Amino acid sequence: MRLTVFNGSPRGRSGNTEILIEWFMEGVKSVPWNSYTVDHLRAVEKHGEFADTFRDAEIVMLAFPLYTDAMPGIVKAFIEKLAPLVGRPQNPPLLFLVQSGFPEAHHSRFVERYLEKLARRLGSRYVGTMVRGGCEGIHVMPPRMTKKVRTTIAALGERFAKTGDFDPELLNQFAGTERLTRFGQAVLKLMKIVGLTRFYWDGQLRKHKAYARRFARPFEGAW
Amino acid sequence: MRIAILDGSPDAGALSRYLNEVVARLERRTHDVRLMTLRDMNIRYCTGCWSCWWKTPGECAFKDESHDVCAAVINSDFVLIATPLIMGTVSALTKKTQDKLIPLVHPYLTLVGDEVHHRKRYDRYPWWGALFECAPDTDDEDLQVVTDLVSRFTINLRSRLEFARTTASDAQETADAIDRVQWLAPRP
Repeated sequence: MRLTVFNGSPRGRSGNTEILIEWFMEGVKSVPWNSYTVDHLRAVEKHGEFADTFRDAEIVMLAFPLYTDAMPGIVKAFIEKLAPLVGRPQNPPLLFLVQSGFPEAHHSRFVERYLEKLARRLGSRYVGTMVRGGCEGIHVMPPRMTKKVRTTIAALGERFAKTGDFDPELLNQFAGTERLTRFGQAVLKLMKIVGLTRFYWDGQLRKHKAYARRFARPFEGAW
Repeated sequence: MRIAILDGSPDAGALSRYLNEVVARLERRTHDVRLMTLRDMNIRYCTGCWSCWWKTPGECAFKDESHDVCAAVINSDFVLIATPLIMGTVSALTKKTQDKLIPLVHPYLTLVGDEVHHRKRYDRYPWWGALFECAPDTDDEDLQVVTDLVSRFTINLRSRLEFARTTASDAQETADAIDRVQWLAPRP
């Protein structure tokens, strides 16, 4: 099996989506005779070429971060390039990966419905969507904090490489927190009080000498 | 009422003509209307650099015309997202612009109801409406999915979607729907 991956992260190789793709591929590559390629949709000028790649692919994976509760603009631009392929009988099977910075997977479930319909629109077999929240910091987290996510998505990759499908139980495990429980909400409130929810952002604001301006309202009154 | 209308059609066609009619009807009712034709504006794709959150708080570090859209949106009482449906959802032009509105909220997260969302950057946010121009293959499922996606977008921007309608209804009815928004409770 040869898997064609489109990474829809505007950050390209330096984003969290790329990390998750690599971990998924650790599982895929553990099964003999499997290989993959990755194209980066941030190269918007190449979307025409990428649409040709999609047309000729054996299996396609589209991966992206959640932007304003849906796909990033560059991903939507690429999807529009696929319009001529609608109704073509031999479009490749599709699997998706959506990750977000919100702690709950719930935020990504709305675009998941869109992706399922997109596969049907293209006449492609819908393999499924891997959804995961709480991913904003994975590129800076120590390996022990990301071990569970890494082993679960690698297991999803291995299972997919062997059977061509996702294991529903592994999908649920990978999703992590679907919605915050009352206990989870209380923990979040406590984290907010002691400043843990701001820790990462305050560090970045200070690093860029913008902490004093963090509550700026540059467009107030600018009608 | 201050009203911003975001025309996300990639071509000047039926949707843009429809919007011109809506604007004329709203202006006759003394509303202050700003029609932003996104295809004529220089708006870059969001690169996810988060400079708008940690280098130049509240505004994109790239000096493109998304700054004009941000200014119009946050100072409006009501914003209409008008877009053709392409491959089942809003146009890439519209989505690109939606992404560039993220500086209007703060990177800090907070609980809103039982969900985690961004903290408000401004005291008040506009009400939102959506106007869809259907494609020949648009079905009820598409309309439900895209309405939910736009609704989630407005929640993310600390407001809510007041209505979603299609250009199957005439411009007068759409202007009436916008006009009724002024009788809602104060902006969120």
